[in-house]
Amino acid sequence: MTRKLLEIKDINVKFGGVTALNNVNLHVNEGEIAALIGPNGAGKTTVFNIVTGYYTPTSGEVVLDGESISGLRPYKIARKGLGRTFQNIRLFGDMTAAENVATAADSLNKSGLVGALFGVPRSRRDEKESMEKAHELLRFIGLDHRAGQMAKNLPYGDQRRLEIARALALNPKVLLLDEPAAGFNPQEKVELGELIRKIRDRGFAVLLIEHDMSLVMKISDRVSVLDFGQKIAEGKPEEIQNSQRVIDAYLGVAEDAS
Amino acid sequence: MSKIDTSKFNLRDRFGDWWDGTNAAQRAMFRVVMIVTVYALPFINNPIIDTPDTSFNSVLFYPLVMFSLMAVGLNVVVGKSGILDLGYVAFFAIGAYTHAIMSLHTPLNFWEIIPFAMGFAMLAGVILGLPALRLRGDYLAIITLGFGEIVRIVAINTDAIGGAMGITDIPGPTSFFGVEFTVMDPRPYYWLTLTLMLLVIWGVIRLSHRKPGRAWEAIREDEDVAEFMGVATLKYKLWAFIIGGAVGGLAGAVYASQIRSIQPELFTLNLSIMILACVVFGGMGNIWGVIVGAVLLGYIPEKLRFLSDYRIIFFGLLMVVMMNIRPNGLIPRKKREHVREKQI
Repeated sequence: MTRKLLEIKDINVKFGGVTALNNVNLHVNEGEIAALIGPNGAGKTTVFNIVTGYYTPTSGEVVLDGESISGLRPYKIARKGLGRTFQNIRLFGDMTAAENVATAADSLNKSGLVGALFGVPRSRRDEKESMEKAHELLRFIGLDHRAGQMAKNLPYGDQRRLEIARALALNPKVLLLDEPAAGFNPQEKVELGELIRKIRDRGFAVLLIEHDMSLVMKISDRVSVLDFGQKIAEGKPEEIQNSQRVIDAYLGVAEDAS
Repeated sequence: MSKIDTSKFNLRDRFGDWWDGTNAAQRAMFRVVMIVTVYALPFINNPIIDTPDTSFNSVLFYPLVMFSLMAVGLNVVVGKSGILDLGYVAFFAIGAYTHAIMSLHTPLNFWEIIPFAMGFAMLAGVILGLPALRLRGDYLAIITLGFGEIVRIVAINTDAIGGAMGITDIPGPTSFFGVEFTVMDPRPYYWLTLTLMLLVIWGVIRLSHRKPGRAWEAIREDEDVAEFMGVATLKYKLWAFIIGGAVGGLAGAVYASQIRSIQPELFTLNLSIMILACVVFGGMGNIWGVIVGAVLLGYIPEKLRFLSDYRIIFFGLLMVVMMNIRPNGLIPRKKREHVREKQI
């Protein structure tokens, strides 16, 4: 049996009177690309914000690699191995590409501020490791020629990929990608799909929110569908494509006249 | 006001290009010349830079180097980490009062009190920061503003530390390798503060180029994302407060030892705003920028003293014009990019 790396158990989220998520159960297996789809406002990004600890669920539990992470601060969850990107790009604009990635890499070492001030050996070693890791990830993502450029000055597509590199610097057990293909042309989408597969092959499990169905159906191993905060279907891409419930959720159902 | 093209007087980039082309020996040479020059400033009797209505040597100590030291400290909080601190004067006051009280009531001398002055200011940073740093933006700014006022008002109302009369007859520093610190000669204080400032600059630059610097910048850019990327945001914001506080406390202790008597009214909101203006005017987040800002904002009112009280109007006018021409400050933070084109 495959190991579940990330489990979202019976999550309920209410904002005031609005139920954003209603008894949602999801999981991500080791070494798979799982996709989360659904119409706008279905609660997909809310799932990410619950998993990363930004929102606290009204009830339910999130388990990362057998360990409950509910109620932990977001930075602690990140360090336990959860990296994410953002629907609207949120890079550290006034920092270079390499610094963006190194900032995330930094959080995995224990070097403190006093050590950095006096240049103790451990701090020097950690510093070197962070920068090396940043450059290695930029090479992996194909941005090494942009290392010294400010993030805000990068082209749009490079910014999206830089976000992925930054999230990977956390050595995530699960990588959460929030609409990584938004604004991409067909060619870029194909390249992105290859990149996500390459990331999976490197040993990172991926949970993907995406609206581009051809991309989702091509690369994901398993697809879950959310609609109005409820999971309405789950299965292999071809099962989802043929599910009447999913088609109804996306296209709507004709009102019965009677 | 129409937008003015500032690219033609972009001295920063010209200097940067020149700096990139220098070798290690030239850089060392440049640094030595700069440092010797600033240490030698009290000996330069140049009528152009002299301040006719005040002793230039006094002006060098306060406000020039004092403002610079405080601006470097405040820059860690405001410029690096993006936390608007309107009560920075509180740390300055705590340092000054620490020296005043301890030098009169304990056998310790100035040099031994310095660590306490910094320590108490750091402690104040923790006490203020732990609850306040959970807030952000305007709310945090108001709390820091309140803190600055609380420290001053507590000092006014505490008779044990002199109340509104303050503390007088504060001893100066004991002589240091033959350098005597007297009431009449401000030069040793200038050199002392300059030396302390160089040490602080060294420390801040070290931190800026390493993990703490990246953490601070990430917090300034987007605090939520920094947290998602594993940055312990509260810890680093607190460190920024502690370091800024320590520098403020240090400055306060030196200040008290020079002017020999302090009153709560020396530590008003105006001073906080003045130091903040130095940081913003010079270029938030750029250590050289804030020093230039502090030197100019300290110097110009002294130079304009022949206008008596009207000088403040000219001073304000100058700031308005400057902020229109260079909204990001004299020497903005923007780092120089090192672009390497992709080899195909």
